[in-house]
Amino acid sequence: MLSTRDLVAGYDERTVLDGLDLDLPADAFTVIVGPNACGKSTLLRTMARLLTPRRGTVLLDGSAIRDLPTREVARRLGVLPQSPLVPEGVTVADLVGRGRQPYQRWWRQWSAEDGAAVDQAMALADVAGLADRPVDSLSGGQRQRVWIAMTLAQDTEALLLDEPTTFLDLAHQVEVLDLLHRLRVERGRTVVAVLHDLNQAARYADHLVAMRDGAVVAAGPPREILTADLVRDVFGLACVVVPCPVTGAPLVVPAHTGGTALRGSATPSAAADDSDPSGASVPDARPASGDAATPLAGSYPSKGL
Amino acid sequence: MSIIDPSTIHADVSTRTAGARLPGRSLLRIGPVSLQVRRRAVLVAVALTVLLLLAVVLSLSLGTPYVAPADVLRALSGAGTPYDLVVFDLRLPRIVLAAVAGAAFGVAGTLIQSVARNPLASPDVIGITQGAGLAATVALTTGMGAVLVAPTALVGGLLAAVLLFALGARHGLAAQRFVLAGVAVAFAFRALTEVVMLSADPIDGLRAQIWLIGTLAGKGWTEAAWIAGTLLVLLPVLAWAGWALNSTAVDDDTARGVGLRPVARRIGLAGTGVLVAAMVTAQVGAVDFVALVAPQVARRLVRAERPPLVCAALLGALLLVLADLAGRRLIAPTQLPAGVLTAAIGGPYLIFLLLRGRRRSS
Repeated sequence: MLSTRDLVAGYDERTVLDGLDLDLPADAFTVIVGPNACGKSTLLRTMARLLTPRRGTVLLDGSAIRDLPTREVARRLGVLPQSPLVPEGVTVADLVGRGRQPYQRWWRQWSAEDGAAVDQAMALADVAGLADRPVDSLSGGQRQRVWIAMTLAQDTEALLLDEPTTFLDLAHQVEVLDLLHRLRVERGRTVVAVLHDLNQAARYADHLVAMRDGAVVAAGPPREILTADLVRDVFGLACVVVPCPVTGAPLVVPAHTGGTALRGSATPSAAADDSDPSGASVPDARPASGDAATPLAGSYPSKGL
Repeated sequence: MSIIDPSTIHADVSTRTAGARLPGRSLLRIGPVSLQVRRRAVLVAVALTVLLLLAVVLSLSLGTPYVAPADVLRALSGAGTPYDLVVFDLRLPRIVLAAVAGAAFGVAGTLIQSVARNPLASPDVIGITQGAGLAATVALTTGMGAVLVAPTALVGGLLAAVLLFALGARHGLAAQRFVLAGVAVAFAFRALTEVVMLSADPIDGLRAQIWLIGTLAGKGWTEAAWIAGTLLVLLPVLAWAGWALNSTAVDDDTARGVGLRPVARRIGLAGTGVLVAAMVTAQVGAVDFVALVAPQVARRLVRAERPPLVCAALLGALLLVLADLAGRRLIAPTQLPAGVLTAAIGGPYLIFLLLRGRRRSS
């Protein structure tokens, strides 16, 4: 569905992606992971034509995205940018309604289909009850669902999301990911998301893309590619990968807690450039997978997708 | 965490599909055209129109000689009264000019403030007024003749607009860049105006000073026709702008995601705004507090997230008609320029905005 050919992209003088070739499967939930500044957001933004590549092509169903009218692209490809600016005083229904702009013109500002799509999107994202509330009065989790509802109202086959779970607490993260999972399973949408949390990526993704330094290190189903070696290659983190007690998906557990000696000896080079994440996340890792995952067990569809 | 049962989704959709609307909006259908209209905006527009008509009648009636409102209405209906000369020839041209210029300032202010995402942006903040002012000052101090002052001022305003766009374009006319470029242009032109004024004959300098403040005295149909003509020619663009303004509040990535071209939109909206601003300033001078105040007050009346175009135009017209009336009558027979009065209203309003902002942020 989405592919890149020889993609070169970046900001100002900095080249982030240098000749990237990638094919993302249709009707799958693809998650892109990688350390900070590895180019995952740049890749997503370039695929969503928010960033113009310096060279190379993004293909949407085989045709170059830059040759398609942006309005037509917006009917096939929805995108949720990272932390979008919330317009002051706009109501939820109003913002979700803006997802219909690819179908509207100044002389045709609203149709019955627009109304139906907005209602359906609000119901799917569970924000129908907030329709009349101003978006800037909502909590972070509610806001994120509203933004997702806006992209759902666009009624596109594919949906690209840049770190949709950032700034959300764990329960809201799971809620958003469950919503994306349902879109893929119940609605047959192609979902592509950039995520920070490897375990969430492993749990929800059908297709995992691991990036480092602007290049794809590995791509495939998480159960096949997510190994301790890969995590060391990509993140420079020593870890143990065990099956998740709830889903059986790979669960990445950092190899040590808080100690510096072990860490230094295991990954001397990487510990230097990526100093904080492992130390901070380790204490959370175990209780999170236990507490939050258990209530999911009943409702969460089998991961043998 | 909430799991939605798919069956409830379908039930919800089927019960609301037929007439789903956005809250607070109505759909206006004219043949193939369908427009989203804020219900509150319609009420406000009707109220403002009534007030504007009342203000026009009041302004036609007050003065020396006093003409009773009933006689004003009789004269307007074409019945032929002894007051026809006063009403039609002496007062009406100037009042119509006030209404048309006020509306144009309201439109220009709305467009400029929306692109700048800044309630304090107006033609004199982004340099259009200063461009027109410099050109008018040159025209007035070099004895180019009264007829040429307005066209020269228009050229000056447009020159400032070109500079503004050239400076702001590199960053896609992004809000902050746009305002900063405008402030730079404004300062440059103001400094040049001072130079011209200081080196000119003091009498000419005084005339230029009065022009800069902005006055409707001695002006009428010609000026009104130029402004109204500009607005009429731009009417299709303004119809588009009323819709396109909706997307100025979201960031560029979000706008691109839904298939819009935010930079092209900003250029179109800002271009229209500065064109209207340059034209109206060239005709009546710097009465631009109207452009600052009308959009923001209209926005609060309509309770919208951005200034509403039509209501801002109507409110601008109302404000300038009232300011001109007050300028004529407050210390009659001496006339105060309308620009002084609008500044007198605008100053306190600015203070009000600042106080309000502080209360909200604390």
